[in-house]
Amino acid sequence: MARVELLDAASAPLLAQAYFADGDPGPIVAALATVPELLGPTLGFVGAALGDGAVSTRHKEFAILRTSVLQGCRYCVHAHTAVALDAGLSVDEVRALRGEVPIEVGFPDDAERALIGWIDAMAGATGPVLDDVWTAARARWLAHELVELTVTIGATMFLNRLATGLELPSSTDAVDRLDRMGLA
Amino acid sequence: MSAATVVVTGPIAEAVAAGELPGRVWLYSNYHCNLACSYCLTESSPHSERRQLSAETMLAVATQARQLGFSALGVTGGEPMLLPWLPETVAAMSEHLPIVLLTNGTLFVGDRIARARPLAGDGIAVQISLDSDQADVNDMARGPDNFAKVVDAVPRLVALGVRVRIATTTAGPLDDPALDPLRQLVTSLGVDAEDHLVRPIVRRGRADERDLGVTARAQDIPSELTITADGAFWGSFGPTVRSGRLDTDLLLTRTVLPLSVPANALLAAVRGLPPGTDANLGIR
Repeated sequence: MARVELLDAASAPLLAQAYFADGDPGPIVAALATVPELLGPTLGFVGAALGDGAVSTRHKEFAILRTSVLQGCRYCVHAHTAVALDAGLSVDEVRALRGEVPIEVGFPDDAERALIGWIDAMAGATGPVLDDVWTAARARWLAHELVELTVTIGATMFLNRLATGLELPSSTDAVDRLDRMGLA
Repeated sequence: MSAATVVVTGPIAEAVAAGELPGRVWLYSNYHCNLACSYCLTESSPHSERRQLSAETMLAVATQARQLGFSALGVTGGEPMLLPWLPETVAAMSEHLPIVLLTNGTLFVGDRIARARPLAGDGIAVQISLDSDQADVNDMARGPDNFAKVVDAVPRLVALGVRVRIATTTAGPLDDPALDPLRQLVTSLGVDAEDHLVRPIVRRGRADERDLGVTARAQDIPSELTITADGAFWGSFGPTVRSGRLDTDLLLTRTVLPLSVPANALLAAVRGLPPGTDANLGIR
């Protein structure tokens, strides 16, 4: 049960109705629709930050799932465990990103471990990020790729706090699927 | 250059001038009321949460409405006259744009008529509800002694120099001959016949719960920008309440100031909906 009313198609404000035209748009949209002037700009930003870009979907999902784990967002971990599997990540990789097995077990590749180090420094800590974390990441990733991934991490942290603070409910279908895989 | 001769330009002014947007901006000053009418759109009653706008916000809306190119204001509730500062605020707002104040007219008893003095003069109309020439019929929907208080207050308001309009809300046809005695009563109270509005019950809020009134889609409701403590809405029939829950289907924005934010959202909404008209339903 969310802490705020989640609007449906019947109660959706005029300028939010397009988001409900194809069925239930999910609790993030349903919650944001209560402040309709935020809906378009927020979804535009989130869509750009989490959607297709110069960085591969695989590595975007690294950022989204790992950040959600570090921020303790149950809703986003459920949602993006499913998305990560759909994007082709293995169960072992997903378990590693979720902190259930060591990173080294899931990711033998130096570049991907350096990227996860950057994500951990951004989403798992406060204050300045150490130079050696940046240097390790920058040695294997282009600067614009790290900018894009950093925006993805930041947008994910926003969603994490939104979903956690408002206690948005996970999709029953996603939870059932993850339950069958021992990942719920 | 005087305020009256300032030429306002911009997308809202152009839309108002072209008839694409209605010129009036409504403000719900508050939601609580000393009555609890059976067809009330907002479930207002003495027990309702006040959810009131401040005088400063209302004045800011009036100022910015004029600057954007709107042409008139309206204040409704709840019962606006429950707010002690309301008459003076309405008078100040009328310096920017012509204004109509909707009231149930029951709070002008005896010496309290003096509270209406700031409402006398050009640019302000006071609209009072009266639904029947029969006291018992009127009071069935609007509460005990409502009829007696209204027919007592209206001539005294007129004598004070207040322009009074009467609004009749009916479940029947708008041109029902059965309303003729009421029309005669209204003119006998000193109100011009042209200042007597007859309108249907809109099936929203408490009226919907009680199976009353006409069903209205967004395009059936005049798209007058409406400002409340809960945000800005499409039309004065937008911010309705049923079972204690605010209807959000006609919510435009939670932002009310600067007024350009909801005004531009309204314009976008008007341009996004299929053409419609309220003419058939007579909602006003």
